Amino acid sequence: MLELLPQQLVNGLALGSSYALIALGLTLVFGVLQIPNFPHGELYMLGASFTYVLVAYGMNFWVAVPIASLAVVIVGILLDQVGYRRIDTGGNLSLMISALAMSTVLQQVATLIWGAEPHTTLSPLPGVLRTAYFSIGYYQMLIFAATIACWLFVWVVLHRSRLGLAIRAMSQNKMAAQLMGIDLIWIRIATFAIGALIGGFAGSLLGASFPIYPTMGLNPVLKAFVILVIGGVGNLWGAIVGGFVLGILEILVSAYISSQLQDIGTFAVLVIVLIVRPNGLFGRAEVLR
Amino acid sequence: MKMMKTLLTAATFLSASAVGSFAENLTLGELHPVTGPASFYGLVMSQTLKLRAEQTNEKGGLDVGGTKYTLSIATGDDQAQATKGVAALRKLMTDDVHFIFGPLASAVAPAVKPIIDKQTDLLQIIDGSIADGVVNGKNSFRVQASADTYNNAVLNYLTENKVKSVAVMTDRSHQGFVMSEKRMGESIEKAGVKVTGLEHFQIGDTDFSAQLTNLRASMPDALVLRGYPGEGALITKQAEALGFKGQIVWEMGAPPSTVMKNIPSAQMDGVTNCIPRMMADYVRLNVPNALKLQEEFKKKYGEDPGENASFSNDAFWILTTAMQKAGSIKAPDVAKALTEMKVTDVPNLIIQYQPYENGLLFKDGQANPPSACQVWKGESWQNPPGDKIEMTTKN
Repeated sequence: MLELLPQQLVNGLALGSSYALIALGLTLVFGVLQIPNFPHGELYMLGASFTYVLVAYGMNFWVAVPIASLAVVIVGILLDQVGYRRIDTGGNLSLMISALAMSTVLQQVATLIWGAEPHTTLSPLPGVLRTAYFSIGYYQMLIFAATIACWLFVWVVLHRSRLGLAIRAMSQNKMAAQLMGIDLIWIRIATFAIGALIGGFAGSLLGASFPIYPTMGLNPVLKAFVILVIGGVGNLWGAIVGGFVLGILEILVSAYISSQLQDIGTFAVLVIVLIVRPNGLFGRAEVLR
Repeated sequence: MKMMKTLLTAATFLSASAVGSFAENLTLGELHPVTGPASFYGLVMSQTLKLRAEQTNEKGGLDVGGTKYTLSIATGDDQAQATKGVAALRKLMTDDVHFIFGPLASAVAPAVKPIIDKQTDLLQIIDGSIADGVVNGKNSFRVQASADTYNNAVLNYLTENKVKSVAVMTDRSHQGFVMSEKRMGESIEKAGVKVTGLEHFQIGDTDFSAQLTNLRASMPDALVLRGYPGEGALITKQAEALGFKGQIVWEMGAPPSTVMKNIPSAQMDGVTNCIPRMMADYVRLNVPNALKLQEEFKKKYGEDPGENASFSNDAFWILTTAMQKAGSIKAPDVAKALTEMKVTDVPNLIIQYQPYENGLLFKDGQANPPSACQVWKGESWQNPPGDKIEMTTKN
């Protein structure tokens, strides 16, 4: 069975890159705004659905992806303004309930528009790279590259721009950031826009690999929360590494233990990480003074 | 005065006759997923039952022992979930429903079984679920095939095509397939076909690469997929990407419209599906009652009936014929008529049931629909050349 290890690791990296791509936007919003944004799964679904509609109307897939992703940005900003901003001071429970409600609303709206049955967008990059040790689809390689590109994009925005400086300041201390003249409302909108952009982009790309339906975001967003815990909430590198760790782990459990234990393996690791490193692999412990 | 008395008597007699001509209402219940992810199966089944009830009412109602009944169908939407199925059944029972069509889902049938077993005034005809042990032959009957009929269809294919080795992937959330997995493996080995690997997945999964990598390494001639078409399509796509070159054999109800929503049709070419014959199969084979239902369904709903419409159609006619034979709408009387019913007794059947001894339709509550394999070509399943069917019912 060990001769299959290279293929299984490649399978894990391919699966992990899709997890990481979804987790990236979620960790940004959760890390900066402390909002458990469950509807991130629905933003992912909308990215896939918008792309499906545009392609169905004859648009080229590569043109449809940025348009669909930008449309999701608008939905994401609306989501924040309607669902979260007005109850921001209401505490974590209110935010969580609102997040769940928004998630259900978006699913229902999608069901009314597109129905409950799945749809698919044809893969724009068919073909498989075959080597002596493993095979991988060209499109899976593209998703891997897109995940790294998204991470780089967010990293550059956060660490090489004034906007990023303001976002980081806000995530560290809202009050101090405001006293420094940072407009919290605009920074909040920008943070949500970037999170939604990545979520929508993930949906646009992954919708060509997986069936598209209103509840398609439920499972990925659950996995994304697990990745947040593994990688450390708010840590971009943690989201990437956590995504790959989870993907590889799921594949190895399924391949070498039992395909019936795939999910149990995932959540067993989650519990172990919570016990050993409660702030995640890349999270920092907080000191309360 | 005598004239007045005669007129009065005639008027009383006429009015009594007129009252007698008003049909009584009879509500038949159904447990099907008309919303949710399995609605592409369930909605069509519900629509078929409603179409048949409407047509019966248009002809003056169902005549049982000289009394005319206007039929209505009460829908219990189980969304293919056990808890919702139990709640829907209890609601139907509260509404004084004594006859149930369904359920479709193999997750629901075992959940409602204990309730149905305890009721003497309730009769169930299962038109969808293939789960083991859900039929008792007393007050529950099944027109859908058993899991073994599904498995035997695959087994026949493997032996007829001299397949030497096979790998099997089963949806672990599909009760019917999971319960029969061990028996199926033993039957395959007994037939001289080597089982190189058994793997599992579950509905909603999107990545099957770990299982497929293992199965591909065991180099089977064929890969059998047991579950639902959404996952079947994804596995077929991913198996090809991972370089699997053998024959892919599906074992699942898979309407072409649903298949093509999950996989480009070109990638399906050559995939074989071995299951009990379903609606589209009977239409392709020009079975008159199937063509009739297709035409009527299309006229009313504007689209073709789905794969399971034939089971619901037959369940309706079998139940109503049993009521007429029993001359009663009491569940125990109707159940007795069902146990004595012959395949040739029922009009309008689409499925060409294989009769049991003495021509009986049911044995221990289970009917015996025939199975076959179809091959995907172009945009739908096609019958292999020379495929024909033995007609066993009135058509």
